[in-house]
Amino acid sequence: MLTVKAKKYVYSTLMIAVGFVMLTPVFFMISMSLRTRREIMLDPLGLPKTINLDNYGSVMEGMNYAQSMFNTVMITLLTIICVSIIASLAAYPLARIRNKVSNFVYIFITLGLVIPPFAGLTPLYLFMRDLGLLNSHVGLIIVYTVANLPLGVFFYTSFMKSIPIELEEAARLDGASFLKTYWYIILPMLKPITGTLALFVTLTVWNDIVNPMLFLTDDSKFTIMTAVLRFLGTYNVDPTQLFPAAVLASAPLLIFFLLLSKQIVAGMSAGAVKS
Amino acid sequence: MTNFDRRMLFILPALLLYLTFSIYPLMKGVSLSLTDFSGVGEATWVGLENYKTIFADAKYTKVLTNTFIYGFVVVVFQNGIGLMFAAFLNELPGVRNFLRTALLVPSMLSLVIAGYIWQYLYAPMGGGINELLAMIGLSNLQSVWLGDSSIALFSVAGVHVWMFVGYSTAIFLAGYAGISTELRDAARIDGVSPFKRFLHLDIPLLAPAITVNITLATIGTLKSFEFPYIMTLGGPDNATMTMGLKIFLLLFQEFKFGMAAALSVLMILAVAIVAMVQNSYLRSREDRL
Repeated sequence: MLTVKAKKYVYSTLMIAVGFVMLTPVFFMISMSLRTRREIMLDPLGLPKTINLDNYGSVMEGMNYAQSMFNTVMITLLTIICVSIIASLAAYPLARIRNKVSNFVYIFITLGLVIPPFAGLTPLYLFMRDLGLLNSHVGLIIVYTVANLPLGVFFYTSFMKSIPIELEEAARLDGASFLKTYWYIILPMLKPITGTLALFVTLTVWNDIVNPMLFLTDDSKFTIMTAVLRFLGTYNVDPTQLFPAAVLASAPLLIFFLLLSKQIVAGMSAGAVKS
Repeated sequence: MTNFDRRMLFILPALLLYLTFSIYPLMKGVSLSLTDFSGVGEATWVGLENYKTIFADAKYTKVLTNTFIYGFVVVVFQNGIGLMFAAFLNELPGVRNFLRTALLVPSMLSLVIAGYIWQYLYAPMGGGINELLAMIGLSNLQSVWLGDSSIALFSVAGVHVWMFVGYSTAIFLAGYAGISTELRDAARIDGVSPFKRFLHLDIPLLAPAITVNITLATIGTLKSFEFPYIMTLGGPDNATMTMGLKIFLLLFQEFKFGMAAALSVLMILAVAIVAMVQNSYLRSREDRL
């Protein structure tokens, strides 16, 4: 009969082993990216003998890394700014005013959370064509902003309901307009939830390939995942191309996640279980 | 309108953008699903013809069953394993945070990247899994993971589970954090076995987390197409052709926009049904508690 403490050690060790097995493909990706074609041929599963970065050079060029990374970061940042301002502005009355209109609008917008994006894709394409927004980052930023609005409205409204109303009322008594109250009182208090929202927006922009494939035609305007797809094509099993490209494309997000994992996990869980 | 609250105007930017770029295309999409629009020329009204094809043509019914199997396998295993991990980790505070983060790492890769990695791991020659099986003396388990039509769909679903199981775990752990410790302690002191505690105490109290997880996993599997797109292109013999991938190919390769719209409308209906069933089931559960 094991003591409670011994049992905990056994289970902890077991779970850590499970964690390592789950992470093996990620370690494999990094390890493979550093090996030469010859090494891989001789020993498919071995570890790199030396740190060989030769594969990276050609891959970076092939997928136009600097440019596509710059595009992705820029689109992501602008989308985050647009979503957080437009959604929080709407959340202010939606959280504070209780009437039928406000309730209806809230439900109507948050319904967008569960609508898969495919249905409106063709009409959206034709519409953007008529507006002259094809092959432009502006068009893509509009698409991403609208796609993330339901999430933003949902996050901000539930968050705002949990912050006290007194500060706003004081500002109003001092004669501040609604817009000023929003800008100087409300917006600064929304920082924590904005972080969580930013993560979700980043993940959608970073991982999406449908919208860039549909709306962009110039390679130089591609986002990172579209560049990877263009570079590797489908069914590519050349390890010297595949793994460096995978590392390069996922590294920024992985590093960002590991640095901020505590806040990210907290925000993620809060957003999910509250509903 | 004397008592009109001017703050209501702040809703307008969001509402107008949402109506213009989300609801309007969606409505147009529904009407497009009743045509044979192919990108050029005028769309001809065909009524429910596209929908009839989807439910009659073996090529499309296969897509529907594939999607159902794929969704079912992923929802069950991702949440089953996630719940099990969370139940263990909840009792192991020493390693909980570290493992929660570690398990989340795969979900921070993109679907595209995970697809490429696993396509390599699954490769029949030189791929990680078959080499590993040979190394540990289980060569008889070697398979053509993505090329054998009887297992390809499950191989792809396995990658989905691998990628997002950490996500389910994190949400279940958040659910556990909300359960009062007094209640669980009381049950323990009363000598209720761990398994019974899990079944009769944890599971009912985790109901909100279960709903969130099942809804997220359902939507996630329905709309994802990246794995079969990168790993198999729907093959072999349409064994891995899912709804998301079929819509994607109809849009980008076959240019059958009317058909793509009809499948998308069905996808929305599927999500709506899952959400509604869950909601009413959970309501009745909560009433009983």
